[in-house]
Amino acid sequence: MLTYFVIAPIFIAVLLYLIPFFKARKALVILAQGALFLAACYLFFRTRETEIVTIVGEYSGFLGIILRADQLAAMFVGLTTLMFLIITVYSFNEQKDSRLFWFLLFIWEGAFIGLFLTRDLFNIFVLAEVSSAVAAVLLMYKRTNRSSYHGIIFLMVNVIVMQFYLLGVGYLYMLTGALDMEYSHMIVSTLDRSRLILPFALIMTAIAAKSSMLPLFTFLPKVQSIPRAPVSVAALFSALQVKSGLYLFLRFRHLFEAIDMTGIFLALGILTAVVGVAFALTQTDVKRILAYSTVAQAGLIMVGLNLEGVYAYVGSMYHIISHAISKSLLFLATGMVIRVYNTRDIGEIRGVLRSLPVVGVCIVFGILSITGAPLFGGNISKYFMMAEVNLPLFITMSFINLGTILVFIKFARILFGTPSEEVAQQQPIQVDKFKQTAIVILSALCLAGGVFGPGLVRLLFGVDATVSLGGFVEKLIILLVSWAVGLLLTKYRHLGRGGLQRVTNRLDFGFRGITVSMGAFLVLMLVLVGVLM
Amino acid sequence: MNPIEVAAIVVFLISFYGLITGKKMIKAVVYMVLMQSAVIVFFLSIGFQSGTVPPMGAYLEYAEHIADPLPQALMITAIVVGVAVTTINITMLMAFFRKHPTTDWDEARKKSMEKEGAATLPNLESQS
Repeated sequence: MLTYFVIAPIFIAVLLYLIPFFKARKALVILAQGALFLAACYLFFRTRETEIVTIVGEYSGFLGIILRADQLAAMFVGLTTLMFLIITVYSFNEQKDSRLFWFLLFIWEGAFIGLFLTRDLFNIFVLAEVSSAVAAVLLMYKRTNRSSYHGIIFLMVNVIVMQFYLLGVGYLYMLTGALDMEYSHMIVSTLDRSRLILPFALIMTAIAAKSSMLPLFTFLPKVQSIPRAPVSVAALFSALQVKSGLYLFLRFRHLFEAIDMTGIFLALGILTAVVGVAFALTQTDVKRILAYSTVAQAGLIMVGLNLEGVYAYVGSMYHIISHAISKSLLFLATGMVIRVYNTRDIGEIRGVLRSLPVVGVCIVFGILSITGAPLFGGNISKYFMMAEVNLPLFITMSFINLGTILVFIKFARILFGTPSEEVAQQQPIQVDKFKQTAIVILSALCLAGGVFGPGLVRLLFGVDATVSLGGFVEKLIILLVSWAVGLLLTKYRHLGRGGLQRVTNRLDFGFRGITVSMGAFLVLMLVLVGVLM
Repeated sequence: MNPIEVAAIVVFLISFYGLITGKKMIKAVVYMVLMQSAVIVFFLSIGFQSGTVPPMGAYLEYAEHIADPLPQALMITAIVVGVAVTTINITMLMAFFRKHPTTDWDEARKKSMEKEGAATLPNLESQS
C-alpha cells in the first residue's frame, strides 16, 4: 500500500506533462492533490493502531526495500500533502500554463513522501538527491533566473554532503551488512561503539546541512530568496526541506542509540537559533528575513527534540507543523506583497494593511502564530516545549523567543504607514483569488492550531495534555514582557547594524567557506564523539 | 581494510581538499565528480575478497564463493543519480557563465550580489 504513496505523485506528474488538454490538466492537478491529502489522512488514522509495513519486492527478512509508516512518518506525510495542496491552490492561476512547474512539483512531492516513508539507507540517499535536484530545477527553470549563483551553491553543497552521507552508509553497511534501518539498529547496538564514530560523524554532517544547523546554514536561506524564483518553492523549502533534515535526525538518532549526543545537539540548536536571529535582524530583504528566521526556528526545534520528557518532544513535533504552516503563510503572503510593491526591500514596503487588507491581516496572523501569541498554533507548541525545562534553559528559550519577536517587529513594519505613491496609484489592486484563498486557509489553520491545540495534540500524538491555567498565565506574562522589551529595543536602538552586521557579514560564507565548515563540522563530531565516549 | 578502500578514502580526501582550495567553479564540479567516484569505488570494495565469483550465469555453481552483489547494484543507481545531478549543475554553471563571464568563486559572488538586487546587499541607507 505504501508504495502507491510514492508512485502516485510521480505517475500523476508524468500524466500532467503528457495530457494536451488544458482543462483536464487543471482539474487533475487539484483533484490529485486533494486525493493525496485525504489518503495521507487515512494513512495517519490507520497508523494510530499499528505500524504499516510494505516490503517492496516481498523479499524475506531485511533484504528488500522496506517502507514503514509509523505515526511519525504518517504525520510528516500528512504535513507534506497538506503543504503541497495549499501550494497548489496558491499557484493554481499563476502557473496554469506551465506544465513543467506542475511536473516538477508532483515529483518533488513524491520524493518527500518517499523520504519520510522509507527506512532504507540507500533509498534516503537517492530521494534526497532527487529532491535537491528537483528543487534546483524548480528554482531555475525560467530563463530569467537560470544563472543563479545561490542556486548553484545550493545544489553543489547538497550533492557534496550527500556524498558524505553515502560514505557513512558504506561504512555502516560494512559493519552491519544491511541497509534497513531497523535491522541496522539491532546490529549497531551490539557493536563496539568506537567503530560507529566515523559513520555517525559522516551521516550527522549531512543531516546538519539538511536541517540548516550551524555552521552549515548559510546557503539555504539564500536559495529561498532568489529573486524571481517562485515564492511557493521558497515556502516549501521552509516548510518541508528543512523539516526533512530534522526528521532524518530523529531517525538516525534512533539508529545510533548507542551514541548519546543529546547535549551537543542541544547546544548546537541553541547556537543555531541565536545566530539565525542575528542574521535575520541584519537583513533588508523581506524574503531573506523570513528565510533566516526559519534557521532560528529549526534551531529551536532541534533544542526541543533534545530535551528530556515527552512534553518537549510533543511540543517540538507540534512546532514543526505550526512553523511549517505559519512560515509558509508568511512567505506566500509576502510573495503577494512583493508582486504589488515591486521591491523586496523592507525599507520601501509600507502600509500593506491599507493597500492589501486581507493579505495584511493574514500576515498579522502569521506573525502572531510564529511568535507564540495565545490562541495561535505557535503558542501551544512553545508552551509544551518549555513545560518541563529547567530554569537556565527556560531563560535561554525565552531569550530566543524574544529574538524571534524582535525579528518580526522589524518585519511587521511593512504593515503600517502609508503605501508609496506608485502603489497607491494602482487602484484597485488586482489580487489573485486563488492566492488569497490559500493564505486565508493557512491563517485559519494557524488559528485552529491554537484554539483546538490540546485536542490536536491528543489526536496527533496520543498524549493527554492540558494547558494549565497557571502555566498559561505565566507564559502569557513572559510573552507580553518580551513584546514590550522588543518594542522598546527597536524604538530606541537600531538593531541589525554596526557590530551585529559586521559579525554576520563575516559568518556569511561563500562556497569554499561552506565546504571548510563542512569539514570542520565533521572533525568536530569525530572529536566530540571520540572524547565523550 | 583492503588497499582499494584506502585508495578510495585517499581520493575522497583529495577531492575534498580540491573543493576547499579550488578557486574556479568548474574545477569544483570536477572535484565533486571525483568525490562521487571515490565513494563509488569505496562501495565496490566493501567486503571484497579475492577468489570470489560474480553471482550470475555459469558461476552460480560455485555459490559458496559469491561476491556480495548489492553494492554493485546500488552503485549503478548512484552513478545514474550522479550523472543527472552533474548535468543540472553544469547547465546552471553555463547559464551563469553566459551572464557573468567568470568562473571564479569570489568574483562570481561579487557579481551575483550586484546583479541580484540592492535588497540583498547590506545597504544601510534603506533602514532609516
